[in-house]
Amino acid sequence: MKINKLMVLLVFGLLFTYGYSTTNEVNIKNSKQETTLNNKINTENLSGINLWVAKLYNNDRILYAIIVILVMASLGSIMAFGTDLVLKFFGMSVTRISHNE
Amino acid sequence: MDIFNIYLLVSGIQFNVLLLILIGFCVGVLGGFFGVGGGWIVTPALNIFGFPMPFAIGTDLANIFGQSIGAVKKHHKMGNVDWKLGFISIITSVIGLEIGSETIMTLEKAGDVGTIVRWCYILFLFSVSSYMFYDYFLNRLKQSESKAQDQNKIPEKLHNINLPPMISFPASGIESVSIWIIFSIFLFTGFLSGFMGVGGGFIIMPALVYLIGLPTAIAVGTSLMTVLFSGAYGCFTYALKGRVELIAAFIILLGASIGAQVGATAVKYIKGYGIRLLFAIMIVFAGFSVVIEQIYKVSKVPFYQSFAGIILMGIAVTMSSIIIVKLIQGAIKEKNYS
Repeated sequence: MKINKLMVLLVFGLLFTYGYSTTNEVNIKNSKQETTLNNKINTENLSGINLWVAKLYNNDRILYAIIVILVMASLGSIMAFGTDLVLKFFGMSVTRISHNE
Repeated sequence: MDIFNIYLLVSGIQFNVLLLILIGFCVGVLGGFFGVGGGWIVTPALNIFGFPMPFAIGTDLANIFGQSIGAVKKHHKMGNVDWKLGFISIITSVIGLEIGSETIMTLEKAGDVGTIVRWCYILFLFSVSSYMFYDYFLNRLKQSESKAQDQNKIPEKLHNINLPPMISFPASGIESVSIWIIFSIFLFTGFLSGFMGVGGGFIIMPALVYLIGLPTAIAVGTSLMTVLFSGAYGCFTYALKGRVELIAAFIILLGASIGAQVGATAVKYIKGYGIRLLFAIMIVFAGFSVVIEQIYKVSKVPFYQSFAGIILMGIAVTMSSIIIVKLIQGAIKEKNYS
């Protein structure tokens, strides 16, 4: 199990490093021209969480990507946990199954 | 229904929240049950309902990552994830994927690559589904005659190829297989994935069952594990490029993470061949939608594009309903036995 967790971390790390480096190359190539990659959200008339997301998107794309990853991972885990409890309540809990074809 | 409309900041469009949750829920059920990401449903669905394509892809990848976390955990609990095989598949598939995308770049210089890819995709979908139907009905026929057994002989032949080094996958019940066979299979699935521009699960799941010989439930769990990693990678790179609509992805995930748990739990109640049959039906309809998409490309009649989307959404809703019904039936049956 420990090896699995280490492998998970290693693969995630490699994937993100590769993803960042390739995206950065594209950004450098496009840095001198206004492209859709440099998209900015108009923050006029925005407030609350929308304004926060817009500012994050406009000012720091790396932080935006990290926040997206964290939000998706957290929400996915919390919702899965909650749904699992509901399913268990209705008698649909899971344990190791036999693999019948 | 304007009260359910929200303004999406990044793409600058209005979108119905209920529609996002419904799309998410259906694709979550299918993802958890079949071990696929469901990008082939979500991306065109979002696009048809007004999402610009790059945002549809990026938002979908974020959702795939989120929904797969819980589903992989659940499959792991059921003993359905072969981590060792999964990691080998991720690493080898990346190489295949690069070769596939390079082939596309080369073909692009020669002319209309979209048509070639679509026809290859159609051929792939109908070939795989035909083989799955053949295998299912052959099994049913044998089942009525004698004791049921897996009719698929391809894995047995591949396992018998003695090309060292050999490797074992105890979690999948594979005692010994040449590592070169495993590499070749994942190189091929990665190539197809890169060439056709579709996510891994759609191709890896049948490959794990019909080429490597995994029990269907383990193929689903392991395929989902690879989908989790590719989703995480895709989500990160698309977010860096500013192509993930965070609020939309958040709302889709509300439905998808519930659906994924439902789908993953349903695997417990449906036998391997049942999963294969439903998968085959689903990809036949996916094939039809690609055929209609191709008709649209030739005729330029907008109706065909909408029709292709309706088929995809229709099959997603129908298949999710079937899976939920089977889950409830299975749970009631289990309760009555105990």
